[in-house]
Amino acid sequence: MKRSHINTPYLLSLSLSILCALIIGALILLVAGFNPIEAYGAIVEGAFGNGRHIGDFLEYAMVLCLCGLACVLAARVGIFNVGGEGQLILGAIVACQVGVWMKGQASWLVLLCAAIAAMAVGGIYAFLPGILKVKVKVNEVITTIMLNTVAVCLCQYLAKGPWKNPNKNMVAATDKLDAEYWLSSLIPGSKLSTAIFTAIILTLLVWYVMTKTSGGYEMKLTGQNPRFAFFSGIKTDRLILLCMVISGAMCGLVGMFRVYGAEHIYKSSISNDYYFEGLMIAMIAAYEPLPVVGLSVFFAILKIGADELQYIGIPSQIYQIIQAVVIFSMAAQSGILSWLKDRGQKKQARLAAQVRGGGKDA
Amino acid sequence: MHDLLSRIFSAATLNETLRTATPVALAAIGGAMTEHAGIMNIGMDGMILMGAFFGAYGSFLLGGGWLGLGLAVAIGILVGLLFALFVVKLKADEFIIGCALNTFAIGLTGFLSDSVFGYNGGKGMAALPKLRLSFLDHIPFLGKGLQGLSVLFYITLLLVLVLWLFVYRTPYGLHLRAAGEKPETLRTAGISPEKMKWIASILCGITCAIAGVYLSLGDLEGNFAKNMSNSRGYVAFACVIFGSANPAKAYLAALMFGFFGALGTCLQAYISPDLTAAIPYIITIIMMVYVVLRSQRRRRLSHRKEQVA
Repeated sequence: MKRSHINTPYLLSLSLSILCALIIGALILLVAGFNPIEAYGAIVEGAFGNGRHIGDFLEYAMVLCLCGLACVLAARVGIFNVGGEGQLILGAIVACQVGVWMKGQASWLVLLCAAIAAMAVGGIYAFLPGILKVKVKVNEVITTIMLNTVAVCLCQYLAKGPWKNPNKNMVAATDKLDAEYWLSSLIPGSKLSTAIFTAIILTLLVWYVMTKTSGGYEMKLTGQNPRFAFFSGIKTDRLILLCMVISGAMCGLVGMFRVYGAEHIYKSSISNDYYFEGLMIAMIAAYEPLPVVGLSVFFAILKIGADELQYIGIPSQIYQIIQAVVIFSMAAQSGILSWLKDRGQKKQARLAAQVRGGGKDA
Repeated sequence: MHDLLSRIFSAATLNETLRTATPVALAAIGGAMTEHAGIMNIGMDGMILMGAFFGAYGSFLLGGGWLGLGLAVAIGILVGLLFALFVVKLKADEFIIGCALNTFAIGLTGFLSDSVFGYNGGKGMAALPKLRLSFLDHIPFLGKGLQGLSVLFYITLLLVLVLWLFVYRTPYGLHLRAAGEKPETLRTAGISPEKMKWIASILCGITCAIAGVYLSLGDLEGNFAKNMSNSRGYVAFACVIFGSANPAKAYLAALMFGFFGALGTCLQAYISPDLTAAIPYIITIIMMVYVVLRSQRRRRLSHRKEQVA
């Protein structure tokens, strides 16, 4: 297979988009009365200023990367898993509760059970819209978004009701995990844990399967031309469903990583629309696995850096604005290019017509 | 059980149904326009959020609910133009642009809200009036249910009628429907389908902005909370599909959504409010499945008829 996905035009348009987004972000900051150079300086300072923040942004990059890859896996076969957020938080709360129930057991057993439980819950929650899409042809975007809200309600109920912690001060949270089950921290004080090694292995695995195996080729074929794939003997329905379930299981696993690696408890801040950011990244990366990794690191730096902006009085949402503008410009660039090409072709056609017309006259 | 039934079929439930349904209905009738024009509009949630913020901001800045509505509609037109610029002119993927618009709206409104109102959101700006009609007091059940609704509720009813007439009773509506179904035919007739798509996007921007204003200035006293659209845009999209892009049917679908929301409030005495909050969303999924099954059955039936003939 050709190494076509990280080509120069893509990198060029990506860097142009990011530049454009940073300029628009600066303009918005200027209009709102802040100094953009100071703000961008604070973002870089905030991300690289001390070891704790470096650990935090690496952990965030891991979350974004896995979410993005989960989206890529499903999108490759032509099904958009917008419901990763729900799969993630359900995975997180179940994994956490498994840890609470199995108090006193060996830590490897608890970790294994929690991971399996989280992946099973995420997978089942993705299976539902998947089977509706494959069997009934219901638009999966709507069902997954609705299931997100349902999952939020469900987790809120569980964390306030049956699985609530005994601590009166915390309204909606499960019990805290025993310290022996925590994944060990790599940089003291930061959220970075050994989960990142599993994440790296998973990333390599996804990349390998998608680009180097016949299964990956079948996935691509199914996504690009389902009818052709079906008639060439690929069981497209089963493949779509399988990819959706794996995508959901990955999201569930991210939830487990968030609980066991970073927060050590389930509360609503376990995910703050993290999956949607991963989805955005997958879109910017044009559903290719490798750019997802690079972009995750970039946006994680931006995000963790932007969190520091609050301390100098600048709202941190500038991060979301920059992210959205990157997508707008990426999406627009292909449009602008094809528009220019169209115009060029029309011009050529007109010239050709003139030449032909001239020939007839003579 | 009797207690529950009497609570469900009460004037209060009717009132809450109408109040919950209005913002969804407003967005859905706009979404019906873009749906007719052949655009899958996922970005309505962002459009609503922009409307909510700029309505509140306009009211805060200019000191009047109607001025807030004016500013929100102006911004709504701009957002509609932006959406059309990317989707129609630059032919970008409408799904990607819709998602990006939603994120952009969350980011921009959050940023501006923090800068203008401070971290806890804005409260206490002038809201739009709620109508207290004296003749409603004389009607036994309906009167109580309809009393005290926001003026935007009546504007919504008017808009549903106007847009229904526009789509099904004017030549422009025919062009709009043709732009989505048979764009090449429309082009042959000398009308640009792109132009109709631009118009549909702008109309959708306007109604979604009003939906947002309903959230910030219509239902409650003037306030703005971050992310207050709360995935109503997606529900509105489901209503559009459910109502086969007919504004009147989309309004009925929104009413159904509103009713299940109100039903959840009734059930709160028996089930945790966190669980009842999920009911309308589960109903929306069931609605989607039903719509698809219905259209598949219709297609099968018409196919069979053709075979018989």
